[in-house]
Amino acid sequence: MPSTTAVHDDTTSRAVPGADGATPSVRVEGLRKRFRREDGSEVLAINDVTFDVAPGEFIVLLGPSGCGKTTLLRTIAGLETPDEGVIEIGGRTAFASQRGIAQPPERRGISMIFQSYALWPHMTVFKNIAYPLTSRKGLRLSRADIETRVRTALAQVGIPELEGQYPSQMSGGQQQRVALARALVSNDDLILFDEPLSNVDAKVREQLRLELVSMQRKLGFSALFVTHDQTEAMELATRIAVVDSGRIAQFGTPQEIYSAPATRYVARFIGAINEIEGVVSAVESDHVVLDTPHGRVVSRDTSAGLLVGEGAVALWRPERGHLDTEEPNTVNRWRVTVDAAMFVGSHTEYLVRSGDMSARLWSPRFEDVASGSSSWASVSPADVRVLPITDGEGGPAVTGSIGTTGYSA
Amino acid sequence: MTATQTPPTAPAAPSLDPKPSSKKPGGIRRIGLFDGVTIAIGLALVAIVVIPLLRVLIGLFWVDGQFTIDPIVRTFAIPDLGELLINTLIVVGGSSLAAAVIGVLLAWLNERTNARMGVVGDALPLLPFLLPPVAGAVGWTMLLSPRAGLLNSWFRDFVSLFGIELETGPFDINSWYGLIMVFTFYAVPFVYMNAAASLRNFDTSLEEASRLSGAGAIRTLVKVTLPAIAPGIGAGLLLCIWFGFGMFSIPSIIGTPAGIDVISVRIVQLLTFTYPPETDIAVGLSGFVVLFVGLAYMMQARILRKGRFATMTGKGSRSAVTDLGAWKWPLRILMLVYVAGSTLLPMFALVIVSLNGYWTPNIGWDSLSLDALRIAVLDDFITRQALANSLGLGLAGGLIGIVAAALVSLYVARNRTAFARGLDVGIKMPAAISNMVIAVGILLLLASPPFNLSGTLIILLIGYLALYLPQASIAADAAVSGVGKELPEASSVSGASPSRTFFRIYLPLMVPGLVAGWALLFIRMVGDLTASAILAGTGNPVVGFRILEVFNGGSYALLAALSTVLVLITATVLVLVMVYARRKSRFGITTKVG
Ligand SMILES: Nc1ncnc2c1ncn2[C@@H]1O[C@H](COP(=O)(O)OP(=O)(O)OP(=O)(O)O)[C@@H](O)[C@H]1O
Ligand SMILES: [Mg+2]
Repeated sequence: MPSTTAVHDDTTSRAVPGADGATPSVRVEGLRKRFRREDGSEVLAINDVTFDVAPGEFIVLLGPSGCGKTTLLRTIAGLETPDEGVIEIGGRTAFASQRGIAQPPERRGISMIFQSYALWPHMTVFKNIAYPLTSRKGLRLSRADIETRVRTALAQVGIPELEGQYPSQMSGGQQQRVALARALVSNDDLILFDEPLSNVDAKVREQLRLELVSMQRKLGFSALFVTHDQTEAMELATRIAVVDSGRIAQFGTPQEIYSAPATRYVARFIGAINEIEGVVSAVESDHVVLDTPHGRVVSRDTSAGLLVGEGAVALWRPERGHLDTEEPNTVNRWRVTVDAAMFVGSHTEYLVRSGDMSARLWSPRFEDVASGSSSWASVSPADVRVLPITDGEGGPAVTGSIGTTGYSA
Repeated sequence: MTATQTPPTAPAAPSLDPKPSSKKPGGIRRIGLFDGVTIAIGLALVAIVVIPLLRVLIGLFWVDGQFTIDPIVRTFAIPDLGELLINTLIVVGGSSLAAAVIGVLLAWLNERTNARMGVVGDALPLLPFLLPPVAGAVGWTMLLSPRAGLLNSWFRDFVSLFGIELETGPFDINSWYGLIMVFTFYAVPFVYMNAAASLRNFDTSLEEASRLSGAGAIRTLVKVTLPAIAPGIGAGLLLCIWFGFGMFSIPSIIGTPAGIDVISVRIVQLLTFTYPPETDIAVGLSGFVVLFVGLAYMMQARILRKGRFATMTGKGSRSAVTDLGAWKWPLRILMLVYVAGSTLLPMFALVIVSLNGYWTPNIGWDSLSLDALRIAVLDDFITRQALANSLGLGLAGGLIGIVAAALVSLYVARNRTAFARGLDVGIKMPAAISNMVIAVGILLLLASPPFNLSGTLIILLIGYLALYLPQASIAADAAVSGVGKELPEASSVSGASPSRTFFRIYLPLMVPGLVAGWALLFIRMVGDLTASAILAGTGNPVVGFRILEVFNGGSYALLAALSTVLVLITATVLVLVMVYARRKSRFGITTKVG
């Protein structure tokens, strides 16, 4: 395929300019990947995934274990062959099932950081980092150029003194930095990260996260970053793709995902949430009314396009709720018993109950409310999101995120 | 699948796409040169095993171009067939059972009790490599022959202090117990390795739960530990049986003088020491070997299928060690005595006899010299030729075997297709077939027209390769899996072509494993007697053949000298490889991933 090689030759010059200068770094369309398990059953690890990544974006793929994040990353890298769909990298087709195109990984001109770092143990740090420079076809660099670029990469990740070491002689955090330097050295437009921070301890992880963000913003590469840690996702991402068993459940900025979750699954996966199920009793232009076993709930959120009589669920974040001793002047209010008050530093969490409904409320102020005392809980209609009830049932087995339990009736 | 696109997307990018290649949808790549060569090599390896095997099986029914059951009839007409079969079963069965008991005990002591000694545990599986079976059999003859046996003589001197005078004995290596004992020494490592591996992977919390339920250490061992490692023991036993039926050197050196005939020895006699060779009957007897080893395989498969052995967690905690109390030191000493007795003692006997120049219990400690060794080995033309041939075959055969096996292992690891799996099964198949049978098949196939390879080094090379292929393949598998998946993937993503990934990543990382595999093959090939007895002759002598010739000629000092040289070669290679492996480990190629 001489044409590929020719194209490949100039990938090191930044972004192939498109007609209007906005060629996406990655474009994925209708991607599907099936795996056959040892027992013969089939898993749809990627199920009709479509998305675009613009140059310079930091995209985080977020989802629970086994939802297909790694598989998606590996198909983009060319390490796994999808069954169907199209993958374009920097405007070039890397994979297209219909047209029989499947570029091997070494032709895709991207970098990847593996969860285990995958540093070659028989090479020094310098050799590890120089490897992409000496391997890429059409990238003829002089020895001096290679040295300069390796040293630059080492300096960028802050370990200039380690170039003669072997990987086994370094700490986990240092190995992580070497892996990062190896990904940076060839100046690729796209770098893939598969949970690169999950093997280092919490302190180092935080440090590396900050460095990674500033480096990405400075160097301007596009990043596709896999994690199942929502804090990490929020901190790093310009946009987050929440993955649910092979599909993208929502793709948006961290704010969108948090304040306007598209499905109950997303709402439950990101942050803590309170839920009340009910039936739509009125739909107006600027609000929706739900009849629930715990009274009427009014919401300003009309985006779900619900009809009167349909089942729906009202959701709101704990920090949007209020706890008052006096009856508040809001439509959505409940007379509740305070089960527990927990001071966690930045806020106080109250567990409240009204009949068989329980909910959580976060208040920035600490008030010494006695357990069992009675009080008023309320939430403004502007802070309530309404979604169809059928959606997101049997949501994910949510792990590792605080307060994801729904307190539905 | 929600595709919220914050930035505007460009219309279809300018046509920078690679042209659709001849690849099929789904990205099935054409078979490259690299894979093509590998496949050819793999098929050749499988062919040198399968075709000789088919030749033997067909030979049972097809003689001189027509269908016949004559070989079978004539095999059943062997006057002492019953005795031959029973002898073989007693030796193989007895030694396998003894090996199972000793092997499991040693493995348990070394893996699970505070009597363990790391060095002994590491050394145990290596012992038979240090002392090839031929040399071991000769060494034990030197020690326990009724008249001149060194141990016997020393024992007689000792008891004479108490006024007990003995003329001969009291022990006799040329006996049932002598034969089974030496067989057992060589079978123990098979059980030990498998049992030790199972014990290492065994979840110790099961044992702890049993102890907490009130069962004692012994009861726990019998009720919980042993059943859980049964598959490991079964695999070890299977190897013992396979080894026993194919073993030729020990029964010919120890059993034949005692009048204990076994199948393997008879096959060789029929083929090489009978004129004209009784090929038909040899083939018929080989059929029995195929049958017995096949039965052992089926039993093993049934054991594995019956139990749900799902206790392996791969994370045996090392802390769970049984405290043996007062038994610790006695058991340790027992282990050391076993190691010394099974290996060091016969080695010592070989060295002493060869330095002494002749075999006598009255060793002239002052007159020990290398002269005898020199005269016996270096000044003898045929022996020199045999040594040169063996070394050459070991070097070349080991190299060819391990490189070919590595290519196939790599191919199998990267292509999970039915064809690749078939190749893997094919290359490991000799492990299921007795060495004896393959050697017979190769003789029948290649010694006659159109090949006429009889008496050449080529036929020996092919024979050795076919026989020791499974060992090569297993060593290569370990080397490939040690590299893992992500290291080569990281290389591909970095832009390296498949061949660059092979030479820069796979090969350097596999070299330590491949060197160890090569050493193993080298030692097996140099110390081989099975293929050598059948395929070598005066035209293409090798060490194993020469040892057999000298043994039949009755020159014991020369026999000891030859065996000593064999041990020296083997030990040198082993030590060099171990030193090399230690140096390599500084990379800590434990960064195992994937
Ligand atoms: N080679 C394979 N063969 C069969 N099934 C596979 C294979 N690789 C992945 N799978 C299956 O595909 C699904 C997605 O796996 P994937 O590794 O992409 O998950 P993940 O989201 O990365 O999970 P984690 O967060 O645990 O890494 C899983 O159900 C997994 O069992
Ligand atoms: Mg993963």
